[in-house]
Amino acid sequence: MVRTEHTIVAQVYAAKTDTEAADALIQQYMGFIHSETAKSIQAAPADGHEDELSIAMFAFYEAILSYEKDKGAFLPYASRAIRNRLIDHYRTERRHGNLISLHTPAGEEDRELLDTLPDAKNEIGEYELRTASQKEIQEFGAQLARFGLSFSDVADSCPRQERTLQACRRVMAYGRSRADLLEQMVKSGKLPIAELAKGTGVDKKTLERHRKYLVAILLAFTNGYEIIRGHLCQIGPGKGGMQP
Amino acid sequence: MKYLVMETHPAYAVLLDERGRFVKAANLHYRVGDTVQDVVELRAPEKKRSARYRPLIGAAGLAACMCLAFFGYYQPNFTAYGTVRIQINPDVEMTISRTERVLDLEALNADGQVLLQGYSYQGKSRDTATDELVERAIDLGYLSDGDTISITVNSADADWQTQEEEQVRRQLEERYGESIVIELGERTQSTPDPTPAQEAVEVIVPVAPPTASAAPAATPGPAASPSAAPEPAATPRPRPTATNSGADTDYGAGSDGVTDYDDTDYGPNTDGVTDYQDTDYGPNADGVTDYQDTDGSSNADGATDYGDADGGSYQDGVTDYEDREGETWDDIGDDESEDDDGEDDADGDDGEDDADGDDGGEEDDD
Repeated sequence: MVRTEHTIVAQVYAAKTDTEAADALIQQYMGFIHSETAKSIQAAPADGHEDELSIAMFAFYEAILSYEKDKGAFLPYASRAIRNRLIDHYRTERRHGNLISLHTPAGEEDRELLDTLPDAKNEIGEYELRTASQKEIQEFGAQLARFGLSFSDVADSCPRQERTLQACRRVMAYGRSRADLLEQMVKSGKLPIAELAKGTGVDKKTLERHRKYLVAILLAFTNGYEIIRGHLCQIGPGKGGMQP
Repeated sequence: MKYLVMETHPAYAVLLDERGRFVKAANLHYRVGDTVQDVVELRAPEKKRSARYRPLIGAAGLAACMCLAFFGYYQPNFTAYGTVRIQINPDVEMTISRTERVLDLEALNADGQVLLQGYSYQGKSRDTATDELVERAIDLGYLSDGDTISITVNSADADWQTQEEEQVRRQLEERYGESIVIELGERTQSTPDPTPAQEAVEVIVPVAPPTASAAPAATPGPAASPSAAPEPAATPRPRPTATNSGADTDYGAGSDGVTDYDDTDYGPNTDGVTDYQDTDYGPNADGVTDYQDTDGSSNADGATDYGDADGGSYQDGVTDYEDREGETWDDIGDDESEDDDGEDDADGDDGEDDADGDDGGEEDDD
């Protein structure tokens, strides 16, 4: 039997939807990503170039998502994607070209510029905050998992168009005002699409398309996720910010 | 914009921004719970165009091509944009496109049909066709020196029309301008024979103003207006001026203010009727050149006497060959009898001799 396509094509197509398969594929091709990065930046991506490697991996992931098998082989495509992403990265970085590094020697002795600055960071407070938010996010993730959702799914179903985002905001505002609906949703594990559509006038299809996202956001508002809600300061009326 | 890191993967991280959007971004060593800025967001893969629209795209492309072909090529080249009418005497009208391509050629009179017979305009441009038609008209004898070509251009586009008129005129003038008059605008009279019409036009223009001013002053007593004096037997008035050249009208006395080109009946004995048949105007002094009347002025007897070969008529001062021949025939009577040769020979000789003799005699008298 003649094999018409490389096994990697099937792997890539599996990785498009399955996050774990994607992670596995990326792990498998780390060597390739390394070499592409090295070719592009003319240096080993080991020390001082970690960001570039991350960007290259991210580009590889993007390539997985946007690959179409009838348009050619995957690896050359991924290679091109990585190179383009890195070039973009350099362009954005170059904007900071006229800034001086914190590591430049500052006058006398061995002191660097960094050492002369006052330590503004509250290390302990920051650590505590991060631990707290980490905990909250884990809880949130666990609750989402009960709905059969992951953060990746939520991100995938997040509206990209501003108009759709506004429609989802209206749905959220309505949902928050109807505590009974939220309770019902938490209990049944289903988004009450019919009621929300009726209450807000948003098309049912739109709600269905962004169901996962709406569930996640409504959940975030039901429970005591203080940090997350604090972060979402720009959502909802009366909270100021960039609400248009 | 600040982002809260929600989930991390080797290649990417899921971030929650302040506006409530979950986004995927490059994982630059993030940890869950971090608040980060300046992220590298995921570029959404372009949505694959649904197969439903694919034939539609093809159709749209095809339609665009056809529109381009139609408006860019077909319409300027193959749709009628205006007409050019050429009146030599053959009257032809060509329908041309915006790019001056001849689309149709039509004869508007019989001569035009003759002119267009066997002529093919297909694929020719306006100037080629015009040149060739004028050439043909010259070949067929419709157009000779001094004749006029009238050009009329018609189109909805006034700019194009004037431009086209100018071009045709200049083109013809460059080629034929020395011998042929090129004029713009439609010819008003389309008579079968262009010559009289043209002459009429040429005569009218200088004459018309004096006619109007002179008419009341110049008419003395017997001013014979056509309506007032329908006298067939009016008093003959000698008119020394021989301005009656066939197409002439009435000036001076007897002017009735009307230009009667065809009325050869003028002067005092105007009767308002054109008497073409009446070549005899009574006693000789009607001032009309009577071509038909060989019966001269002094001896007018009211009849053309071709047969009158005898004596008296010889005095009329007109060389009447017939008369003279009659006379010589009388004279020759003797000669003929003397000659033994044939009649023909004798006639010829005698005629010559006699004529010579006459001439000599006349010279002597003078």
